Amino acid sequence: MSTPHVDPSTEQSLSIWFFVGILTLFSGLIILGQGVYEFWHPGITVLANLHPAFWWGLLMTLFGGFYSINFRPGKG
Amino acid sequence: MPVVPIPAAMFLATQLTHLAPVDVAILVLYFAMVIFIGFYVKGSTNTSEQFFLAGREMSAWIAGLSFVSANLGSLELMGWAGAAYQYGILATHWYWIGAIPAMLFLGIVMMPFYYISKTHSVPGYLQLRFGEGARAVSAVSFAFMTVLMSGVNMYSMALVMKVVLGWDINFSIWVGAVTVAIYVMLGGLRSAIINEVLQFVLIWAGAALIPILGLIEAGGWTNLKSQIAVRMGSTDYMHMWSTLGSFNGNPMGVHWTGIVFGLGFVISFGYWTTDFLVVQRVLSANNLRAARLAPVIGSAFKMFVPFFVILPGLLALVLLKDSSGHLMQLYPDGSDMVLHHGMHSFNEVLPLMMIRYLGPGLLGLGITALVAGFMSGMAGNVSAFSTVWTYDLYGAYINKKATDSHYVSMGRWSTIVGMAISVGTAYLVMNAASIMDYVQELFSFFIAPLFATVILGMLWKRASKAGGFWGLLSGTAASVAMWAMVYHDKANIRFMILQPHASVDTIMRVQAMAANLYRAAWSWLICAVVTIVVSYCTKATPEAQLTGLVYGSTIIPDDGSTKIYQKPVFWAVVVATVLFALNLWLW
Repeated sequence: MSTPHVDPSTEQSLSIWFFVGILTLFSGLIILGQGVYEFWHPGITVLANLHPAFWWGLLMTLFGGFYSINFRPGKG
Repeated sequence: MPVVPIPAAMFLATQLTHLAPVDVAILVLYFAMVIFIGFYVKGSTNTSEQFFLAGREMSAWIAGLSFVSANLGSLELMGWAGAAYQYGILATHWYWIGAIPAMLFLGIVMMPFYYISKTHSVPGYLQLRFGEGARAVSAVSFAFMTVLMSGVNMYSMALVMKVVLGWDINFSIWVGAVTVAIYVMLGGLRSAIINEVLQFVLIWAGAALIPILGLIEAGGWTNLKSQIAVRMGSTDYMHMWSTLGSFNGNPMGVHWTGIVFGLGFVISFGYWTTDFLVVQRVLSANNLRAARLAPVIGSAFKMFVPFFVILPGLLALVLLKDSSGHLMQLYPDGSDMVLHHGMHSFNEVLPLMMIRYLGPGLLGLGITALVAGFMSGMAGNVSAFSTVWTYDLYGAYINKKATDSHYVSMGRWSTIVGMAISVGTAYLVMNAASIMDYVQELFSFFIAPLFATVILGMLWKRASKAGGFWGLLSGTAASVAMWAMVYHDKANIRFMILQPHASVDTIMRVQAMAANLYRAAWSWLICAVVTIVVSYCTKATPEAQLTGLVYGSTIIPDDGSTKIYQKPVFWAVVVATVLFALNLWLW
């Protein structure tokens, strides 16, 4: 095989991990926003008092943000 | 092609919930991204190597995540959650002994032969080892199986949409089919792999919250076990091995021999080491070490999938309640209670748990995770179908001398055709009594005998071309014959479980899923015996032709590992040790 041993995440201008980061970041932000809203308008699901949307959204935002920045286009 | 129903006709009166705008936003974001990826990678899929094998450029992590994600279709998510509700923690066997040892074996023992033979597919390996006959049988059966499996995924996704959102099944089938067809047709395996990695992350993010909240509500693991014991009247539902001493001792009606030999050996090794759908992901690895490490990485993640698939099924046994506050009882698909009394089926357990805990936003994430899982299964099947059709059927028997660009074009067209056939299959599955049993039937028809042929071909030099062909053919035919025998009269199961005088009670307790384990074991054995007998009666393949294909005739090249933590075998031992400890814990 003459194909060089490269990870496609570095071979192409947009990394696979960057896609992962963007999708997680934006989904996380949407859920985080909903979680904040639910502090004043509590949900009706079981255990809504634990504010799962807020905490899960925050976790996803941090995860997605890290991957988006760490694998952003143009980063060497 | 059938006309897609207009949106106004999508909703039924019985929907469980509806999507809030934030849920729709997450779903739309996901669909937009997968379509974008299809168009984005189209420019780098111009040759057949790029389209069908992603240019063999994937790292171990990407190939490994894709390897395990391609399997996270309807079978993984809804079906096994339903099986856990029905059979208890026994369903975990399909993730642990029914997957991990085989994945490790693929990485450590088999991958070098697949990789250094430079084969583009599993039927392609059979052609190199056993000639055209074995390839033809394998390619035709595989192509048949993949489009059926894709249809199963499609139907399952549509079912989720129907149960949760009240969407019309036809609408969901066509939206899923068109989306997958677009991104696989444009980007081939490369596009499918990128999306599988995305889907993998989404599935974990979208599904992990359900068992976490469920365990909090149940009061922890110990309380959950106690409550299940009270509801079911015994502790059988929470033991993985101690109830397998007899067919009558557990909810599935299975004996440990079926789990160990039928599932743990034949079905599992057959699926994970010879099903081209998953092997194709590993063949895309960029070097031998990555190819060996990818299945090991996949196995580590696979081991924790029961956390968000099996556990919700168990939690549902004691937490799901109906509108009057009583514990909800679920029923088999197609049963009278489901069809005529508005009750929910086993396969609906995961969506029901989702609705219980996930409010706006989180519900959208959960639904997107389910959709991603189903689409991952569809994409995996259809990309594998496209490869086998183009390389092993069209290129081998119909048009042998076409240009490379012609084969790429054929790959894109066969993706469309494969999806169309899958859509037809999805409508067929609507009439099947159980999604799970249907899929298991497919496994044991083709996969079990194929595993015998491949493993003998890889490890036994004396296996001849005629032996491989006749073994594979007779094993497959025997499997279909055994299925027909039991379908005709369930009492015939007693011959398969080697208990010709079994009581009616024992026969009735053996569930279809357990019967499939024994059918797989027998078809593997028949294939192996026929291969060995015919091989000894026919001329052996010259040693020179076996180089790079068979153990003993091949020098395995060094994979470049220097330190112990770089060696795939080290991580395989770590995974195996954790697996052993988990089984002891839940004995």
